[in-house]
Amino acid sequence: MRTYRRLMGFLRPYRFQLWGSLAFAWAAMGMTVAIPWLIGRAINAIVEYDKPDLLPLALAIFAAAILRLGLTVVRRLVAGKVSLAVEFDLRQVFYAHLQRLELGFFDGQQTGQLMSRATVDLGAIRFFLGYGLIFITQNLLTIVLASAVMFVIDPVLALLALAPAPLIVYAASRYNRVSRPAQQEVQQRIAELTAEAEENVSGIRIVKAFAREEYQLHRFQRAVSRVFDQSIYATRLQAFFSPLIGLLPQIGIALVLLVGGRQVINDNLSLGDFTAFYTYLVMLAGPLRMLGVAMGMAQRAIASGNRLFEILDREPRIESPPGAPALPAGGGRVQLRDVTLRYAGVDAGAEREGALPALSEVSLEVEAGRTVALVGPSGSGKTSLVALIARLYDPDQGTVFVDGVDVREVDVPSLRSEIAFVADDSFLFTASVAENIAYARADASLEEIEAAARRAQADAFIRALPDGYETRVGERGLTLSGGQRQRVAIARALLADPRILILDDATSSVDATTEVAIKEGLQEAMAGRTTFIIAHRLSTVSLADEIVVVDGGRIVDRGTHAELMEGCGFYREIAEHGLADSVFLQRDLEAREEMARL
Amino acid sequence: MRRGEDNALRNVGRLFVALWRLVRGEDQRGRKVKWLVSQLRPYRGRVALMFVGLLAATAAGLAPPYLAGRAIDSGIQTGDVAALDLIVIAFVAVAIIYAAATYLQTYMVGWVGTRVLQDLRQRVFAHLQSMSIGFFTRRSPGVLISRMTNDIEALNQLVTDGVVTIFSSTLTLLGVVVILLVLDVQLALVVFLTFPLLLIASVIFRIVSHGAYRATRERIAAITAYLQESLSGVRVVRSFGQEPRHVDEMTELNEANRAVNMKTVYLNASYFPAVELLAAVATGVILVYGGGLAIDREIQIGVIVAFVGYLTTFFEPIQQLSQLYTTYQQGMAALDKIFDLLDTAPDMVDAPEAIDPGTLRGEIELDGVWFSYKEAAEPGEDVWALRDVDLHVPPGQTLALVGATGAGKSTFAKLVARFYDPQQGRVLVDGHDLRGVQQRALRRQLGIVPQEGFLFSGSVRENVAFGRPEASLEEIEAAIATVGATAFVEALPDGIETEVGERGIQLSAGQRQLVAFARALLAEPRILILDEATSNVDVRTEKTIEKGLERLLQGRTAIVIAHRLSTIRRAGKIVVLADGGIAEQGTHDELIAAGGPYSKLYGAWSESSVA
Repeated sequence: MRTYRRLMGFLRPYRFQLWGSLAFAWAAMGMTVAIPWLIGRAINAIVEYDKPDLLPLALAIFAAAILRLGLTVVRRLVAGKVSLAVEFDLRQVFYAHLQRLELGFFDGQQTGQLMSRATVDLGAIRFFLGYGLIFITQNLLTIVLASAVMFVIDPVLALLALAPAPLIVYAASRYNRVSRPAQQEVQQRIAELTAEAEENVSGIRIVKAFAREEYQLHRFQRAVSRVFDQSIYATRLQAFFSPLIGLLPQIGIALVLLVGGRQVINDNLSLGDFTAFYTYLVMLAGPLRMLGVAMGMAQRAIASGNRLFEILDREPRIESPPGAPALPAGGGRVQLRDVTLRYAGVDAGAEREGALPALSEVSLEVEAGRTVALVGPSGSGKTSLVALIARLYDPDQGTVFVDGVDVREVDVPSLRSEIAFVADDSFLFTASVAENIAYARADASLEEIEAAARRAQADAFIRALPDGYETRVGERGLTLSGGQRQRVAIARALLADPRILILDDATSSVDATTEVAIKEGLQEAMAGRTTFIIAHRLSTVSLADEIVVVDGGRIVDRGTHAELMEGCGFYREIAEHGLADSVFLQRDLEAREEMARL
Repeated sequence: MRRGEDNALRNVGRLFVALWRLVRGEDQRGRKVKWLVSQLRPYRGRVALMFVGLLAATAAGLAPPYLAGRAIDSGIQTGDVAALDLIVIAFVAVAIIYAAATYLQTYMVGWVGTRVLQDLRQRVFAHLQSMSIGFFTRRSPGVLISRMTNDIEALNQLVTDGVVTIFSSTLTLLGVVVILLVLDVQLALVVFLTFPLLLIASVIFRIVSHGAYRATRERIAAITAYLQESLSGVRVVRSFGQEPRHVDEMTELNEANRAVNMKTVYLNASYFPAVELLAAVATGVILVYGGGLAIDREIQIGVIVAFVGYLTTFFEPIQQLSQLYTTYQQGMAALDKIFDLLDTAPDMVDAPEAIDPGTLRGEIELDGVWFSYKEAAEPGEDVWALRDVDLHVPPGQTLALVGATGAGKSTFAKLVARFYDPQQGRVLVDGHDLRGVQQRALRRQLGIVPQEGFLFSGSVRENVAFGRPEASLEEIEAAIATVGATAFVEALPDGIETEVGERGIQLSAGQRQLVAFARALLAEPRILILDEATSNVDVRTEKTIEKGLERLLQGRTAIVIAHRLSTIRRAGKIVVLADGGIAEQGTHDELIAAGGPYSKLYGAWSESSVA
C-alpha cells in the first residue's frame, strides 16, 4: 500500500489532466451505457405502436455516438499525454538518481539488473499509471452504470445476469498475472538460445578444431527445447484462459434468455427491456475482462515499484558537503594518510566476510609535478589507490589530501575536473571522435581538440578515419583498435588540462610503432602535472621519477628502478617475469620491420 | 492523405496478388512455402485437429447472436416456453463447443507452429556446423545469429498468427455475410455499406501506425543502448565528473521518445473512437431501417437483435485482416533469408575417397604453399598471406613461429588444421595431402589453443572435457593437474563444477588460458597448435602458465605462434616469417650465431630489458 501511494505521487503534477481525463472517460461511458437503453426503447416502440417514429431514437443513438467520439478522442489525447509525461518523469528520476550514486554502488550491481529496472519495471509502472488507472475507473464505471440500469429494469434478472461477472474479473486478472511471467520466461529463454548461438558462431574455430559439431548441435537442441517447452506452457495458459474468459459472459446471456424470456412471455418484462438486457451483457464482456487485466497490471506495477524504489531510496554516499568550497589552486600535491579501503557489496562469492581490505594503512606523499609508477601484481591495490585521489571511493579509515585539502571537504566536481584518467581499457562513448576528446570540456573549440589529439599522437590516424574527427566511435560506432582508443583517451585527458594525471597502462593492445608514439605523447602529457602510472612494462616504468611497489594492499617499497633492482627482491621478480617485456621481442620486431619499410 | 489511401488499397491488392501467385507457384517463394508446409507432414494428425478446432470454433462463434434472435422470434414472441428452453440449451452447448474448440485450436496452432520452427532452427544450426571456417570469416556473426533467432521469430508470427487470422477471419467474415443475407437481404446490404469504410480506415491506420510504432521501437532502443553505455562507462563518467551532461543527453533522448510516442497517441485517439462511431452509426441504421421493415412485418424483432449482435463479430475480422500484410511481408522476408543460408552448399566437404590416416606420428610438411584469403587471387596481386612456403617439421618437434602482425603466422597454423586449402602447393601430414584426409579424423588428433583461450559456458569440467566428453573425472583432474591449474580450480566457489559463464567471462585471462591448455591436453593431440597469449597476467599466473606450457609441449609435434622468449628459446626450430615468406629458420643458438634479423632483435631486447 505504501508503494502504491508512492507510485501515485508520480501522478501529482498531472492531477488536473488526470481528473479531466477521468471526467471525459465517465461521460463517454455514460453515452456507451445509454446506447443499449435507446435500443431497448426502439424495440419497445416497434412492438407496441403501429406506426412509431423511430427517427428520433436513431438520431439520439447517433448523437450519443458522436458525443462519445468527441469525448473519447479528448480523453485518449489527455490520457496519452499524461502517460507519456509520467514515463518521461520516471525515466528522468531514475537516470538522474543513477548519476548521483557513487562508483561503489555500481561495483555491487549487475548491469543487467539495473537495465531491467529501467526497462521492464519502468514499463510496468508507466503502463499502470498511464493507462491502468483509467482502465480501472472507466471499466468500473461502465460496469456500475450498466448494472444500475439493469437493476432498475429488473433486479432479480440483473442479479442472475451478473452472477458470472466476478468470475470473469478473477479469471482475467489471474490470466494476466500468470501469463506475463510465462511470456517473459519465453523471452528469457530465447535470449539464452541467442547467447548459445552467438557463442557457437564466435567459437566456431574451437568447435571445428576439436571436431565437436555434433556436441554443439546437441547443446543447441537443449536450448531449443527449453524455448519450446516454455512456449508450449505459455500457449496452454492462453488456450485455457482465453476461451474460459469468453465462455463466462455467455452463461450470463443464456440465463437472461432463459429467465428473461419467460418473463417476457408472462408479460413481466417488455421485449425492449429484454433486448436492452441482452445488449448490456454483450457489451459488458469487454469491460469485465479489462478490469481483470488492469488489476493484474496493478499487481505487477506494485512489484515493479518496489524494485524501483529500492534503487531510488539508496542514498548516494559520496557527495559534496553543503556549501563546500572548490578545490584551492595548487600544483597537484597528493597525500594519503593511513588509508584503509574495503569494497562493500562486491558481488557475493568474490568477496567474503572478513576478506582482506583492498588497501591497508597506506601512506604516501607525492610532491606536485612528480611522476610515480605503481608496480605490483594484479589485485594488489594499484587501481584502488588512484581511485581514492579522485574520491571515486571514500576510504574506511584515513584521509586523502590534494594540495593540502581533505578531498571530502571540497566540491566533488571541482576536484574531479583537476584529475584525469587514462584507463587500461579506454572506454569511449558512442559519439564522434571530437566529442569524445572534448568529453570533459564540451565547450572546447575544434582547434583545441585537434591540438590535444596531436599531442597524444592521435591526429594522424583520426584524419585517416572515414569521417575524420566526425567519425562515430564507441560501442555502437566504428571500433577502434586498443592503441587508437588509448590515444583518444590520452587526448581526452590532455584537453581536460588536469593537475593530476592518472594512467593505467594498457598492455597488449598496442603495436610497436604506436607504442613509441604513445610514449612520446605520454611524456608530453605528463609535463607540469603530478602523474601516477600503473605500469605493466619496463618501458613505461622508465618514464617515472620514482617507483612504488604495491602488494596485498600495502606499499612494500619505493625507489628508482636501479635502487629497487638492487634492494627489493619482489620488484626484481616482477621486473624479470611479470612485466610483459618478453612480449617485447615481438613488438620490436614489428617496429623494425615497420621502420625498414619506411 | 490521398496518397496514403492509394497506398493502403494498393497494399491490400498486393497481399491478394502475392497470395495468388503463391498458390499458383509462380514465384520462388512458392517453392519455399511448399517446403515449409511439407515440414508439417510429421505432425499432420495435429494439423488436422487444429483445423477441426478452427472450423468448429469459427462456426460456434457465429451462432450466439442468431440463437438469441431465434429465442426472441420463435420462443418469446410466440410464447413457446419449450422452444425457448431448447434454444437456450443450444446456446449454452454452442458456447461450450466454442470454448473447447478454441482451446484445441489455440493449443494445436501453438504446438505445431513452435515445433516446426524449432525444427527449422535446428536445421539452420546444423547447416552452419557443416560450413567451413572460410564461410564464417566472410559473414558477420550477427547476421548468422539472427537467422536462428529474429528471422525464426518473424516466421513464427506468420505461421501462428497469420495462418489462424487468415482462416478464422475470412471464415467468420464469410459466415456473417451469409447469415445476414439469409436473415434479411435488404438489411444485410445496408449493413455491408459500412464495410469499405471500416476496411479503408483500418488499412490506413495499420500502415501509418506501422511506421509510427517502428519509430517508437527505435527510440526506446536508443534509450536502452544509451543507458547500457552509461552504465558500462560509469567509471569514466564519475572520474571526469560529467554526470550533468549525461543527464542532459538522456533528457534529449527521453524527449525524442515522448515525441514519437505522441504520434501513436494521436493515431490511436483517432482510429479507435472512429471505429466505435462507425459501429454506433451502423446500429442506428439497423434500427431505423430494420425497424421500418419490422413495422411493416417484413422481418421479425429477433432479426434486428441478431443484426445488432453480429455487428461486433463483423468488425473484428476486418480489423484483424488489415494487420496481416505486415506480418506476411516480414515473415516472407525472413523465409527468404533463411533459405539463402540453407541453399548455400557447404564447402570443403570430405572427398568420397578421403582416408582415415589412423594415429598420426605428427610429421608436417608444407610444399610450395601459396595462400590468399581472397578466393580467386592472381599471382601478381598483393593479396598473398603465404608465398611459396616450403617447410618440414619432423614428428615431436616444437616449431616457434616469430614475426610481425600480418606476417602469416596464424595463416600458417590454420592451413595445418585445414581450416583453409592453399591455392597452390600442398600441406601434408604424415605424408598425406590434407585434401585427401577425412577432416574429423585429422582434427580429432589436433589440439588448438587460441590466443584468447575461448571457453564455452558450462562448468570447468565440461570445458576441459570438450574434446573428449567420455573422459573420466580422474582423467580430467589429471589434465588440470598436469598444466598446473589445480590450485586455482580448487579455489573456485564450486571447484571443478564452477560455471565459467559466457565465453568464460567469470575466469581471468590467465585462468582461461590454463583451462584451454588442459582442454588441449585431455584431447591427447598428436599435433598441437598454440597461439601464445600476450595479455598481461600477474607474476604468479605467468609462472604457472610457463610450466603448464612445458608439459603440454612434451612428446608431440607443436606449432607455436610464440611471444615469450622462454618458449622461443626452448623450441626445436624457430621460423621467422616476414611478408608471407620464411625469412630465416634454425634454433635459437644457430640464429644468434647467424647474425640475421633474429639476432638483432634479441640484442635489442636484451639491452632494453636491462635499461
